[in-house]
Amino acid sequence: MIKLESVTKVYKGEHVALRDASADIAKGEFVFLVGPSGSGKSTFLRLLNREERPEKGDIFVAGKDIGRLSNHKVPDLRRNVGSIFQDFKLLPTKNVHENVAFALEAIGRPRSEIREAVPQILDLVGLTSKSRNMPDELSGGEQQRVSIARAFVNRPLILLADEPTGNLDPATSVGIMKLLDRINRTGTTVVMATHDRGIVDTMRRRVIELDNGRIVRDQVRGVYE
Amino acid sequence: MAIRLDYVARETGSNLARNFTLTFAAIITVAVSLTMVAASYLIGEGINNSFLGLRSEQRLFVYMNPTATGDQVDAVSAAIDNSGQVDDVDYLDREKTFEVFQTLFRDQPELVSTVEPEDLPTSFQIKPTSTDAEVVSSLGDSLETLDGVRTVQYAAEYARNIQRSVTTLNTWVRFVGVILITASVLLIFNTIRTAVFARRREIEVQRLVGARNWFIRMPFIAEGLVHGLLGAVLAAGGAIAFDSLWKRNFVDQVSFELLNQIRWDSSDLVMSIVIVVVIGALTGAIGSGIAVSRFLRI
Repeated sequence: MIKLESVTKVYKGEHVALRDASADIAKGEFVFLVGPSGSGKSTFLRLLNREERPEKGDIFVAGKDIGRLSNHKVPDLRRNVGSIFQDFKLLPTKNVHENVAFALEAIGRPRSEIREAVPQILDLVGLTSKSRNMPDELSGGEQQRVSIARAFVNRPLILLADEPTGNLDPATSVGIMKLLDRINRTGTTVVMATHDRGIVDTMRRRVIELDNGRIVRDQVRGVYE
Repeated sequence: MAIRLDYVARETGSNLARNFTLTFAAIITVAVSLTMVAASYLIGEGINNSFLGLRSEQRLFVYMNPTATGDQVDAVSAAIDNSGQVDDVDYLDREKTFEVFQTLFRDQPELVSTVEPEDLPTSFQIKPTSTDAEVVSSLGDSLETLDGVRTVQYAAEYARNIQRSVTTLNTWVRFVGVILITASVLLIFNTIRTAVFARRREIEVQRLVGARNWFIRMPFIAEGLVHGLLGAVLAAGGAIAFDSLWKRNFVDQVSFELLNQIRWDSSDLVMSIVIVVVIGALTGAIGSGIAVSRFLRI
């Protein structure tokens, strides 16, 4: 599903964010990216949805060499790659339902489909009762659920999560991880960057550790360190 | 995949409302600049129309010295006949000359009142074959050198001077109009840039979920078009107002001799509105197009 071959990413000509990184992630895998701040976790994720392009190496996502993807094909890639973030990136002027619907509107889905899909996904993330609430009326965990609903409403093949529990307390984090696990069980490949030792150690999934832009460990059913 | 019009309408509407002060400034600037363009177009058409009228009336007068001999008059008459550039010629004796003088200078009664027929020389009133001002004046120049000729006058000269002043004024109006259009483009550019900035979170989400570039850009381009077209609608009103003001104040008003000949018909007015709408739409599209291509990268 995802394949990196000797990928190097350099920012502004000097800072090397990723060095000669290679990895192969199969469909339906759940992968943790761990490592200290600045080790290249976020860059790894940003390369997978073509927010960034590598200086060297090839990246294949869902069979496509995305380094060679022309700009107008990038939206097609991103429809297959959902993203969630530490800061949720919800739109403060839209309620829960509208935030999720916005993702489908943006890719031109018909209204009838939106009417059907949004309540379904809100049910999946457990927010049916809050669909008319504004983001600032929700807890952090609830906001992250909305953001997961938005990323997943289009049923992408891959879900990228950049420290999704970074702003949440441990109990709430567990809830979010259960949700991501559920999504993973539907066959969606999940790649999650995290600093959360407890989560990694509890879930025992594949762990790719980065240090200073290099992949220093790639372990099946691994722990944080 | 067809773009949803209600989506574009809603997003564009909320952009316009959010950005009200800038939107207002942009529309007013577009309206003022396009009104100047329309006025300039109408005046230009009016000048062309009046110029055509004057060209067909192109006449010149060869005034003889009061002391000119019969031989000299005959020689001038022969030169006129032999020039090959004269369509028609009248010899005016003193009484006839006085009549023409009174007609030509009817707007200067103080001048007419000081002149008696005896003061006036005899003259030839010539209608040249050509209406080209160059040809007419070279004919006049050649006749002016003949013995007994005091001066050659052109009926259209005064009109041409007026025309020249109006044309100069019109060039300035056009110049200011173009500068204001440039200002409009920049203002729309900045308005759209502000709108893009205000919506950066939405745009970020749209990019992440895989919205196409044109889908993201469409509401902003539409916003620029609304600026341009609303400005154009106001300018069309301005053009209609200018048209009626001009007609009321100048056309057929004796006190504006010659200025009143600068006139246009309703098809010119319609054309000026078409021009204004086209330029308005282009102004909006260019201003917003530059803004989104600079600030909306995927």
